[in-house]
Amino acid sequence: MNRGIWTRETVVVLLLLAYLPLALFWLWFGNIQDMHRLALALLVLAIWQLVFLLARAQPVSLSAGITALAIAMLAPEGLGGVRLILGISFGAVMGELVFGGWGRNVVNPATVALSFLGFGFPGFAWPEILLPVAWAAIPAAAIGLMTGVMPAGVLLSAALGATGAVAIGVLPGFALPAAGVVLVLLVADPVTSATTRLGRWLNGLLFLALVILFANAWHGAAPVQFAVAAALLTSLAAPVLDEVALALWYARRRRRHGRH
Amino acid sequence: MTEEAGLRPPRGTAPRVSIEAKDDAVVAAGAPLARLRDAPDVCFVAPMAARVARVSLLQGHRLSEIVVFRETGGDAIVHDTSGADTEAGLRRLMQRAGFWPWLRRRPFGGMPDAKERPTAIVVMAADTRPFAPDPRLALDGLEEAFGRGLRALALLTDEAPFLCQQPGPALIDSADGQKAHVVSIGARHPQGAAGLRIHALCPAGLDTPVWDIHAEDVAALGTLLETGQLPLTRLVSIAGSALRESRLVRTQAGADLRGLTYRSVLPGAHRLLSGSPLDGHAEHWLLPRDRQVTALPRDPSRPTRHWLTAALTRSASARPVIPSAALDQAFGGALPAAAFTRVLSAGDDETAMKMGILSLLEEDCALADYVLGDDGHLRQLLRGMLERIRTEFAA
Repeated sequence: MNRGIWTRETVVVLLLLAYLPLALFWLWFGNIQDMHRLALALLVLAIWQLVFLLARAQPVSLSAGITALAIAMLAPEGLGGVRLILGISFGAVMGELVFGGWGRNVVNPATVALSFLGFGFPGFAWPEILLPVAWAAIPAAAIGLMTGVMPAGVLLSAALGATGAVAIGVLPGFALPAAGVVLVLLVADPVTSATTRLGRWLNGLLFLALVILFANAWHGAAPVQFAVAAALLTSLAAPVLDEVALALWYARRRRRHGRH
Repeated sequence: MTEEAGLRPPRGTAPRVSIEAKDDAVVAAGAPLARLRDAPDVCFVAPMAARVARVSLLQGHRLSEIVVFRETGGDAIVHDTSGADTEAGLRRLMQRAGFWPWLRRRPFGGMPDAKERPTAIVVMAADTRPFAPDPRLALDGLEEAFGRGLRALALLTDEAPFLCQQPGPALIDSADGQKAHVVSIGARHPQGAAGLRIHALCPAGLDTPVWDIHAEDVAALGTLLETGQLPLTRLVSIAGSALRESRLVRTQAGADLRGLTYRSVLPGAHRLLSGSPLDGHAEHWLLPRDRQVTALPRDPSRPTRHWLTAALTRSASARPVIPSAALDQAFGGALPAAAFTRVLSAGDDETAMKMGILSLLEEDCALADYVLGDDGHLRQLLRGMLERIRTEFAA
């Protein structure tokens, strides 16, 4: 029978396509060490996927590419191989694979790995997001929106909110590149962001609010550091935002129909 | 008209019946062939003047199918319509004339009980499924009968029937306008899916059943009330990629699908579906409510996979559904698609009932299943959940 195309792996391939401009700019402006980190992350993730394939019959997924890119771009620099492998393993196993693989996870594995590395090994410098790399997040988001694999509400609400926040001066400009890249790479993940329409708008606004809070009140934190922390808290809150949106929807339906 | 026809109960049901016509008996068009055991008024009638060829019953006198051969020059049954201006009389007429199987109830689907009183009736004068015949074409010239049928349906329920139609000239005149809520819907599937319309207009519940019916059948009811004869033919579209040409025909319910397609089918193996390519089922006969025949080329048999590839790609559980804009649009924005899909996969009956699963049937999830490709199992999950709810709440 002729069938539709929107299987899990199609979504992954389209997401990888969307992240391609970001990855290319990052590699172009980066150095050989960045390549090494990306290769290491891919290798570690592939090994864990293979382990879970053999142990739990969980099918492998190309989503490891997305996780590896996010970790390689945003992890603190100078950690060394052992710590990096430890952090990536923790993120991939506890953040994704124990739940049943990509699509059943509740938090983004890259967010978990980055938070683990950041909080577990303090004192290492967070990377700086170069401006051209930050600009490349815009085509990435555009491809994601056009193909429908990234939640439109999350991206649009965060972008519109950020424009307003910069205009009234509560969001300092130095936070923007890191926040934009983290938004596209970690927050606008179709699996772990909110899934209802209202929930998605709240999700984007919550991320923005946390970034504004941390940028103004968390002294001594690097932009990538607080953006990742905001992404972690946002993805933990996403189910609550969905519940809020659903509760409002139930209430509206009950008022209109007198029953569910 | 095809030479053979097969009478089947609505899909997924096998009611207990008593057989009225013996094998090889000659019956008139509209003559009862079988009656329900529990409600002897509800009849399954012969779709044409015919000779009964074969009656197959399952265990416990459950109806499987009745096959009839066409007889030329037979007459048709005329019903007494004198009592039809009261609710009880109308019900009896509809049940005796064989109209009852054309109704479908929600929740759970299938033919309504003989005594059930619906909270609302939704008349679908729009069909957005691929290759579906335009109901306006079917109603052409039958406007008066349609209005009469709609007024009669209003007897069966407290609320005025809902009439779902696509933008265009009004199907009913303004005098009837007060007696029906006219709802205008878009032309893209799934906006014409009956379940999603019911979900938005008047959700079905355990104690609040909602019926839906096709507009052409309402016109047939109007004709039945006027002449005493139920028109047994309907406009059916025959389409699909295994045909040389697609066409629209008037044929009887239960028509033989091979008889309808054998002149126009392309060489090679093919499958015949009763219903649209999205929600059709491979059948021998046109099912009671279907208005589409789809012929698709049979899938080429796949070479058997190597055991290692099979072991590496076959997973222990079905792969998860990823929320995307495609999934949202497959439900037409009627309900939170990703949350509903998760609730279905998790088997959370109570949340699903809050979300309105009782208004839905398999055909409303058919587009989502198609869109999701190999990962789509929503129809099986939905049917399993509906059956579970039925057994749990019947107790």
